[in-house]
Amino acid sequence: MGTKVVKLVFLKELKDIFRDRKTIFMSLVIPLLIFPLLFYFMGSGMDQSVKKIEENLKVAVVDSGNSSLSQYLAGVEKLKLVESSDIEADIKNGTILAALEIPETFDADIQAERPANLVLFYDNASQASQMAYSALTNIIEAYSKTVVAQRLLARDISDDLLTPVVIDARTTEDEEEGMGKLMLSMLLPLMLVIFSISGPMGVAVDLGAGEKERGTLEPLLTTQAGRLSLLWGKFFAITVMGLLSTVSSLLGLMISMRQSGGLFQGSAVTIEPITILLIGLVTLLLTMFFGAVELSISIYARSFKEAQTYISPLMLVSFIPTYATYLLDAKNIDTYYFHIPLANITCLLKEFLAGIYNVSHIAITFAWIIIYIVAAVLFARHMFSKEEVIFRT
Amino acid sequence: MIEIMELSKRFKKVLAVDAISFHVAKGEIVGLVGENGAGKTTTLRMLATMLKPTGGTAAIGGYDILRQPGKVRGEIGILFGGEVGLYDRLTGRENIEYFAALNGMTRAETDASVDKLIRLLDMEEYIDRRVGKFSRGMKQKVAIARSIVHQPTVMLFDEPTAGLDVSAARIVQDFILHCKQEEKAIIFSSHSMAEVEKLCDRLVIINKGRIVEDGTVSELKAKYRNDNLEDVFVQLAGESNGN
Repeated sequence: MGTKVVKLVFLKELKDIFRDRKTIFMSLVIPLLIFPLLFYFMGSGMDQSVKKIEENLKVAVVDSGNSSLSQYLAGVEKLKLVESSDIEADIKNGTILAALEIPETFDADIQAERPANLVLFYDNASQASQMAYSALTNIIEAYSKTVVAQRLLARDISDDLLTPVVIDARTTEDEEEGMGKLMLSMLLPLMLVIFSISGPMGVAVDLGAGEKERGTLEPLLTTQAGRLSLLWGKFFAITVMGLLSTVSSLLGLMISMRQSGGLFQGSAVTIEPITILLIGLVTLLLTMFFGAVELSISIYARSFKEAQTYISPLMLVSFIPTYATYLLDAKNIDTYYFHIPLANITCLLKEFLAGIYNVSHIAITFAWIIIYIVAAVLFARHMFSKEEVIFRT
Repeated sequence: MIEIMELSKRFKKVLAVDAISFHVAKGEIVGLVGENGAGKTTTLRMLATMLKPTGGTAAIGGYDILRQPGKVRGEIGILFGGEVGLYDRLTGRENIEYFAALNGMTRAETDASVDKLIRLLDMEEYIDRRVGKFSRGMKQKVAIARSIVHQPTVMLFDEPTAGLDVSAARIVQDFILHCKQEEKAIIFSSHSMAEVEKLCDRLVIINKGRIVEDGTVSELKAKYRNDNLEDVFVQLAGESNGN
């Protein structure tokens, strides 16, 4: 009777969920679309604003001596030299991005081979102004090099003298893929934890508090089906829906990483099948854990609204260890991190993505996940068998 | 069929049901009457094994509610008032079949029982449509079919007509009489005296968790020398409240 009832409840819940267009849209369609859209707009938005600033660097040059530098600057295509009567005010209000003050003695100093001083004004609270600042320093650096080259030439010395060592940097990963992997090792563990919480949430709320609110729980409890069988059926349905939702979010993430013009500029990352398998397993277990916790909270709540209110803090609390570790470097994670709840999950996922399969880290983390799941299921069972919880109205 | 023995339930400091005892025979309708909070729903929930008694016990169809709760649930059908508690996204038939399967019926038994109930309650036209768009009366019929699909020997009705319009209430009342014809033991809780007088063979009046009267309608009327059952009830409730 037991497993038959579990299967019966499981299939009924899935049928019920798949007939609910709203839930399907929220938990499967939106996660699939959100990342491609988000990253596309973020990427193209950033591209456009960068281009706009780069092509139009409005800079004021105050040059009392009409120096060779200001003539050099006038020849630089991306600079747009403008007049300004009040440099600081104009920078502050964004009329110009930066300003350069060239002293009267500039050319004379250069001629005499004395250090020539310049004053560069910019707004360090503005991204555009900072871009202008770095563009200007690069241009001045290039100008300096031409001056040095002339000086060396005058002394009949090769400019190789200035570069005694030449570095040829070679990366272990294809350069683009390395960048993509770094982004992925920071982003994916964080995202997977978030998906494991948000994926089963809607369904967990519906199958506990929703059942109470609609008045279907009480008739259900009068049938011969044992409460534990009902609980297991619901728990598996929540896990399946949570996983489907996570898979759909991941597909969205993969699409967004491959789309050109997006934030990742189509930097394709190849992940080994074994890594995908391990990541999938961790995600499954984590979804089971959160599914059980959310079902417990949901069965305690009197209504949908109450359940959602109680589950939100769970999300916030879970973010702390997850965010705290998301910048860690996968290749140097201390073992004690693998004993911290959720931090261990992010760390292990990071290692997997970096191709590290440390047996003791895997064993410690999996042992902990199993403990979390057993504890969460026992908690759900406790809640499901308590009269005060079931009849809390 | 139903034997209640010194049944009690305490919620923390409140004694909701205080050592009540009564019995219901086959084909008998017993009205469980009392004001809101008197302990009617708690009693029915204990009989349905949803709540554990803190004292006493009860036997249903020979099964003890403490020792054989699963068997007891197989013997009882429950119909609640208020929300019908159906799954809106399932069809009427699927709702009924789900409960049949949860009660351990085979496919063949379920089909036979569901078909019979569809004809009995005249639901052919809409039974395969989703419940979400049903009228209240249609939903009520599905809920009735669901409560009896596993052919229980005992029926518990917890204020089943609360919030129903006249015709929907009529459907429920006819169903209760149908159950009596089928020789089921029935407990019917209500606070409508007219309804109780119309349907019940016997009355158990409870107040603050205790039984204050147990007898047939005519016995009670004779005892209190009042032809109006509502007056008798108000008098009894007032007396035990110390008014």
